[in-house]
Amino acid sequence: MILDGWFYTGATIGLLSAIICIIATIFRNHPADSSILSLAAVELYLFVYAIYAFISPVPLNGPAWEFWGYIITALILPPIAFFWGITDKTRWSNLVMAAIGPTILVMIHRLQVIWHG
Amino acid sequence: MADTISPTTPSEKTTGRTKGVGRIIVMLYAILALAAAWRSGFQILTKFDDAPVAFSLSAVSAVVYIIATFALAIPGRRAWKTAVVAVWFELIGVLVIGAWSLLVPDLFSESTVWSTFGIGYGFIPLILPVIGLYWLYKHRPAPLG
Repeated sequence: MILDGWFYTGATIGLLSAIICIIATIFRNHPADSSILSLAAVELYLFVYAIYAFISPVPLNGPAWEFWGYIITALILPPIAFFWGITDKTRWSNLVMAAIGPTILVMIHRLQVIWHG
Repeated sequence: MADTISPTTPSEKTTGRTKGVGRIIVMLYAILALAAAWRSGFQILTKFDDAPVAFSLSAVSAVVYIIATFALAIPGRRAWKTAVVAVWFELIGVLVIGAWSLLVPDLFSESTVWSTFGIGYGFIPLILPVIGLYWLYKHRPAPLG
C-alpha cells in the first residue's frame, strides 16, 4: 500500500509544519519556536520511518540504493532549513522552514512508491 | 556598528540580495539541487544507457542548480554575476528541454528535471528561475567607482 498510515502520518506532519511556519511568518518577526519544533517533528517522523523501513519484513520493491538515498536526503533537509533559517533572524526564517514540510510530503510519497509500488 | 558607518560601500549594497526573501529562494534552490543531483547521479550510475541524452542533461542541470544555490547565497558582485548566468541557464534549459521533450518524446523516455517544463517537480523548475531573476535584477550590485 503506497497510501498507508505511514504516508498519511508523514503527509499530515509535513502539511501541519508548513501551515505552522506560514502562520509564524505572518505573526513573528523572528524564527518562531513553533516553526523550529514543527521541523523537529518532521525530522523525528523521518527517523522513525527510516528505522521502521530498516526493520520491516516488507521487502523493498525498488532499488535499495535509491530508497536509502532518498531517506538520507530527506533527513538532511530539516537541519539545512533550520541552520539556514536561523542564521538571518527575520520573519522570513519561518518561510524558509515552511519549504520543508511540502518537500518531505513529496519525498515520502516517492519513498512509498519505491518501497511498495 | 561598522555597517552603519559606511552604508554606501558596494559590498553593503549587495547584502540585501542574500537576506529576507532571498533566503527562501536559496532554500528552494538547495532542495531542487539536492533532488536533481541525487536523481541524476542515481540514473547515470544505474541505467545511463536507457536514455543517455536525458540523463546527461539531468546531470548538467543538477550541477547548475548547485552553482546557483551557492551563488545566490553568497554576497558580492562576482556571486551576483554567477547567479545571473546560472539562473538564466536554468530558465532557458527548462524552456528548451521542456519543449523538446514534448516534440521528441523518444529522446526523453526517462524523465529529467526539465521534462515537460518540470512537471515532475510541480513546475518549480519553471517558476523558480523567473522569481530568481526578478530577485537578482532587483538587487543589482552597486556600480563600480
